[in-house]
Order: sequence, then C-alpha cells, then structure tokens
Amino acid sequence: MEKGYLSLILHAHLPFVRHPEYREFLEEDWLFEAITETYIPLIDVFDKLIDEGIDFRITMSLTPPLISMLTDELLQSRYIRYIEKRIRLSEKEIERTKHQPEFNRLAQMYYKHFTNARYVYAEKYHRNIIHAFKKFQDMGNLEVITCGATHGYLPLMNNNVNAMRAQINVAVQHYEKHFGRKPRGIWLPECAYEPGADQLLKDAGIRFFITETHGILFASPRPKYGIYAPIYCPTGVAAFGRDMESSRQVWSSKEGYPGDFFYRDFYRDVGFDLDYDYIRPYLHGDGKRTNVGIKYYRITGKTDHKEPYSPERALDKAAEHAGNFMLNREKQIEHLASIMDRKPIVVAPYDAELFGHWWFEGPDWINFLFRKIAFDQKTISLITPMEYLEMYPVNQVSTPSLSSWGYKGYNEYWLNGSNDWIYRHLHKAAERMIELSQKFSDTNGNALKNRALNQAARELLLAQSSDWAFIMKTGTMVEYAVKRTKEHLFRFTRLYDDIRANNIDAAWLSDIEGKDNIFPDIDYHVYQ
Amino acid sequence: MDKDIVKEIFLLTFEIFKALCEIVWKKIKDLFSLIWDRFFGMADESKEQVTYQEWGVTGEDEWPSAPEAPSVKQEEPQQRIETKEVVYALQIPELPDAYGDNRIVLMVRDPEWLFTYWELRQDVIDSARNTLIPLAEGAKTILRVYDVTDIIFNGYNAHKYFDIEMTDGARSWYIHAGEPNRSFCVDIGFLAPDGTFRVLSRSNIVRTPRMGVSGIVDEEWMSIKELYEMVYVPMGHGISESVFERTRADWQEVLKEGVSSSESLGGLTISKK
Repeated sequence: MEKGYLSLILHAHLPFVRHPEYREFLEEDWLFEAITETYIPLIDVFDKLIDEGIDFRITMSLTPPLISMLTDELLQSRYIRYIEKRIRLSEKEIERTKHQPEFNRLAQMYYKHFTNARYVYAEKYHRNIIHAFKKFQDMGNLEVITCGATHGYLPLMNNNVNAMRAQINVAVQHYEKHFGRKPRGIWLPECAYEPGADQLLKDAGIRFFITETHGILFASPRPKYGIYAPIYCPTGVAAFGRDMESSRQVWSSKEGYPGDFFYRDFYRDVGFDLDYDYIRPYLHGDGKRTNVGIKYYRITGKTDHKEPYSPERALDKAAEHAGNFMLNREKQIEHLASIMDRKPIVVAPYDAELFGHWWFEGPDWINFLFRKIAFDQKTISLITPMEYLEMYPVNQVSTPSLSSWGYKGYNEYWLNGSNDWIYRHLHKAAERMIELSQKFSDTNGNALKNRALNQAARELLLAQSSDWAFIMKTGTMVEYAVKRTKEHLFRFTRLYDDIRANNIDAAWLSDIEGKDNIFPDIDYHVYQ
Repeated sequence: MDKDIVKEIFLLTFEIFKALCEIVWKKIKDLFSLIWDRFFGMADESKEQVTYQEWGVTGEDEWPSAPEAPSVKQEEPQQRIETKEVVYALQIPELPDAYGDNRIVLMVRDPEWLFTYWELRQDVIDSARNTLIPLAEGAKTILRVYDVTDIIFNGYNAHKYFDIEMTDGARSWYIHAGEPNRSFCVDIGFLAPDGTFRVLSRSNIVRTPRMGVSGIVDEEWMSIKELYEMVYVPMGHGISESVFERTRADWQEVLKEGVSSSESLGGLTISKK
C-alpha cells in the first residue's frame, strides 16, 4: 500500500496565433514545433504505456486557444506542410552527412521523428490530436483540465467580475464541446489566484485549481498540512499547492535535470549552423534564420565547443534522472507520511512545452518515471487531484493568498514598465463589452448585429491573453505582442462604435471573423 | 565523333533550355501567387498546397548542397533568439489617448507595491481649480494614498494616508505602500498651499497580499509546524529561522529565487537560460 501520492500536472498552452492573411507566418511555428516536439512525443509515451498495460495518472491543462488551434482546419493543413518540409530537410541531411557517421545517425533519428510525427498526426489521429487526449481521459489515465478562455490574467482584471467570469465560462463551454463533459479542474492562467475568483469557478461547476506554493502557505487560516493536502476555499472549491522541491529539480536552470551536459543542446540548430543557401528553402519567406528543429549537439558544458549528441547516452541520463526524481519523492513522502495523519499529496506542475521542446529528453523522462513508479517501488502512487478529493472529501477551509508562478510570485511580471500601458485599454474594453451586452441584450433578430456583438467578445478575449504582456516583458518578439494587443483592441473599439451607431460594415466583419475565428459558438450574453 | 559532339551540344542546349524554362515557370508562379494574395487575401487549402510545393519540391533542387560538416557559428544564444524578431510591415493601429472618462484605477503589483492609472476630464479639473481660487496657482497635483483596511471608507476615516506629488503629464504611477495584507484607496487631486485638498477622482479599493504565514489558526485544524519547515529548507536558502518568524525580506528572497519559473513560462517563446 502506498504512503502518499504524486500528482504530475502539465500545463499545455500557446497563445492563439493564426494568420490566414499570410501564406505562412513565423509565430505559427510555435504551434508546429510544440506538436512535433512535445504533444506527439507525449501521446506516443501514453499510447505505449497503455499498450503495455502499465497504469499511470497524469493531469494536463489544454487551454482553449491551444484546443482551438489544434482543431482548426487551416492550421492543420499548414502543419502537414510544415512537417513534410521537415521530413524533406532530414532526407537531405541524411545525404549531406553520409560520410560523417556521428551526424548521419542523428539525421536519421530526425527523419524517424518527423515521419512518425506525420504518421501519428495525420493517419493515427486524423489531424486532430485532441482525440488522443480525449481517449486517454476516457480511459482514466489522464485528467484534462481547462484554463482561462484566452489565458487572461485574472488578478489584473479583478475590478470587473464579469470580465473574469467570461474568461471562466467561455472556457468551460469550450471544454464541454470538445470533451463531452464539464471540466472538473482548472489551471488558472499563470497559476494566478485572485481571492474571490473561486466563486466564479464554483458557479461554473469547477471543483479544484492549483496555486503557487505560497498561495497555500500564506492562506488564512493557516493550513494544517501546508501544501501537502488541499484546502477548501470558503466556496468549497479545492486549492492544491505546488511543491517547490519537485518543481525545482526539473525547472531550475542551475540544478535542474534539463541542463545535464549529455542532453541535447536547444540552441545549436541547423537553421543557424548550416550554409545559408543550403538552408534557405526551409526558412520563412523573409529569409531570416530560425530554428528548423534539427540539432546535432549536446549541451557539453559551459563552452562554445559542442560535442555531437549521443541519443543512447542521453536516454541513460533520462532514466537516471527519473530514478533520482522518484527516489527523492519516496524520501519526501516517507517523511511527510510520518508526520501527517493522512496520505500526503505532492503536486508537481510544469509547462508541458518544457518536455520535448526545451528538454528534448523530457518525454522519455516521463516515460521512465511512470514505469519506475509502477514497478520499482511501493511508497508512492500517481494520482489526479480529483481522485485525491474523492479519497479525502473532508478538508480544511481557508482562503488562499493572491499569488502567481511568475517572477517574484505576484503580479509584477504582467504589470511593469514594459506592459502597464495595456490595462487602461483592456479595462475600458471590458467595461464597454458589458455595456454592449446589456444595451443590446435583445438584437430583435438582427443577425448582423448579433454577429458583431459576438465578434466584439472574441476580440476582447484575445486582447486579454496574458501572453502579450508576458512577451512584452521578456523582450523578444515584443513587436508581435504589441501588434496583437493593439489590433484586437482596435477591432473591438471599431465594433463597439459601429454597433452603437448601428452602422456595421458587413464585409469588414466577415474579414475579422475569418481571421479571429476562435470560439465559433460564443454568445456575447456571457458578459451580461 | 562529330555526331557525339553534336549530341553533346544538343543535350547541353536542351539542359540550358530546360533550366531557363524552370526559372521562367517559377517566376510566373511567383507572380501568380502574388496576384492571388493581392486579390484573395484569405488563404485556402488549395493555395496552401501551392506554397508548399513551391518551397519544398521545385525550389529545393536548385539549392546547392553543402558537403561539409555543419559549419560552426560562434554566436551567443541570446543573439540567436533576437534574430527571430520579425518586422511587421503592416501598420499597427494606434489606440486612443483617452476615453473621455474622469477616473483613477488602482491595481496591486505585489505585497508592497500598487499601480495606478488615471484619466481626468478638463471640466472637472477646471471646476476644482475654480473652487481653490485664489490658491489655485500654488496648488500641486498629488496622489493621496489611504490605508482603509477593514473599514467602510467615507473619505475622512482612513487609518492613515500619505501624499505623492505628481510630475507634469504623469498618467500612471507605481506606489510603494509598503504594507502587505492591507487595503488601500487613492485620490488624485489638487493640494493648495494652505492644505486644502480638492479630489478630482477616487479609486477603487484594493488589498495587498500577505507576505508570510497567516497568524490566524483554526483550532480544529492545528497546523503541523514540521510540514512548513519542509517546504523551503531542503533548498538551502540559508534561512534557518522558523517559517513562522521569517521576515518579509526573507520571503522576498525565497520567492525571487524559488518561484522564478516565469523565465520559461512563455513555453515556446523565450529561453530558460
């Protein structure tokens, strides 16, 4: 019998990036890279475990923008184009490196990766990998949770409860459409909890969410079990706290596993390394060098001299690190169990895209971890937060503290000199949206006005994505984030003016409906 | 012999002709897709295919293959990321400077800092100035920050307040309230030399988050001290005091170091390093 539980949570999210007005678009590669390097490798791991009858539990948030992109026909066909281009590049690389065995075998490895990705994506799951996640959920191995409709940062829209509510309710409806039931849990955007937001979660039927460590640690009254058991908000919605120790082992750039010298180096990509004319056909139209996903070197050390990557050595490392992680959790849970009068839960959430994209061997690590937990020990079991709540339905009532998983733990990453200018516009737009939904509560069968109102809701939601403020702060791709914020606000404002003046430009409306086509079923009354 | 040469010349001419044709064909296709883009802005499936073929199949054979090992470029990782930046040709629409409102909004940044932005209407400014005559000339624009924790604030009953003088043209401000777990409200207004204060706009009320373990204990759920000790101790921050006695500065250190996963939060957009 196990002494405690480990709950692994992967937060899978990308901002909604879809540009039909361009033949190809650099930022759409974020999705394509994530499909190839993270989502498909994870699906492969899960499929294989199930095939071999190895039981496992994992929780994943699939955000509405991500689901929207993964189920969008245009992006689906563009992914096929993307992956086929990668397959051809890897074929060419096999030829080019034929006299260099240490690179040639890697070129072949990438060829296998890419052709497999194409197979899993196009043939096995018919271009819709949400089906894969739904399958794992229906089998009981995966709990898919939702997120804010567009990953809007709730504590910075707390002056408008309707705006927060729309982020939650639109997400819940969207989830229901794709998974055939309501979500039981939510990953709050940026893990940011705003005291009182749990009322909105409760109204939407959500049973639990996850907070950053200090969200629980600083909760009031003081939680008896710290972060090793959930607490109930006064509304009865459960809050689980992130365990720092397990997070750190994976995340930390200093001590974390992904920095091991035998792991693949993310930065040495042939998109930058190879002769320009040779690689040019695989770059974007503007010809700027970008990552193309073929990387031949291992991290090697803090040096510019890089050694060729060895998949065998790296795989050994992933197994070793999985063993180390498990051993640490065993020790941790042994100790916790000796103090607590119930079985402790250790909640370990990560960005899904860390696994495979940044940390190439990440999916292998998960694979080894799940197998080792199944066969090599008896102290810990994998669990989902929902299963834990079913096992321990009685929990302490306490209010978590405002917190996020951003730098310094609060709102600063999304509210600082680089991005604070957006809030006066976002707040105004939210206010106006509510005004519209109340004033035009009944459009008297005016279909055009109805469409314009729904589109206004989409534009507001897209402008609220926390990703834009985040990117402005990081300092890379800032221009794109600024453009997106302004563009959605501009479209919203024009709709607001046009609707009120009863002067809607049908052609323009169709144009932006075609571009910003997230949430086709949205009903603007969600803002009432 | 002559025949061979003739054949050779013929083949060569044919090859050149073929190459020329391919170039012309490619140009025509480029032109076509350009025209297509111009007139049919919305891409569809068929056009997706056009792009893909152009880049993947025809184009590819024309690029010389490099037989050497990957040439090593000694670049800083940071620089590489930056080269990904794209310049957008499209004009970004400008947002309005003001919305014709008269209001001030207060937001929480962290346990110690607040952020406020405002927009003031000229008629409100003018009438406030008029009430201050003859002191209006010497009046300063200030933010008055009130501690309104656990009270129903009526403008006069704050626990305490402090003033911050605004610089000309300021439209937002970071305020060091310095106190976690307290409620604040801000007025923007004119402060005359004699101390008369004319409010132009009053903000919403916000509460800063706690920065430390709650002192409130639920008797039915007495907390287990050892569990708290476990949270950060294994990480070697060198903070030996009990979690319950940690100062704000201690927690700041812990949160800064321990929680900064944000560097990789962008998922695909930025680097962890």
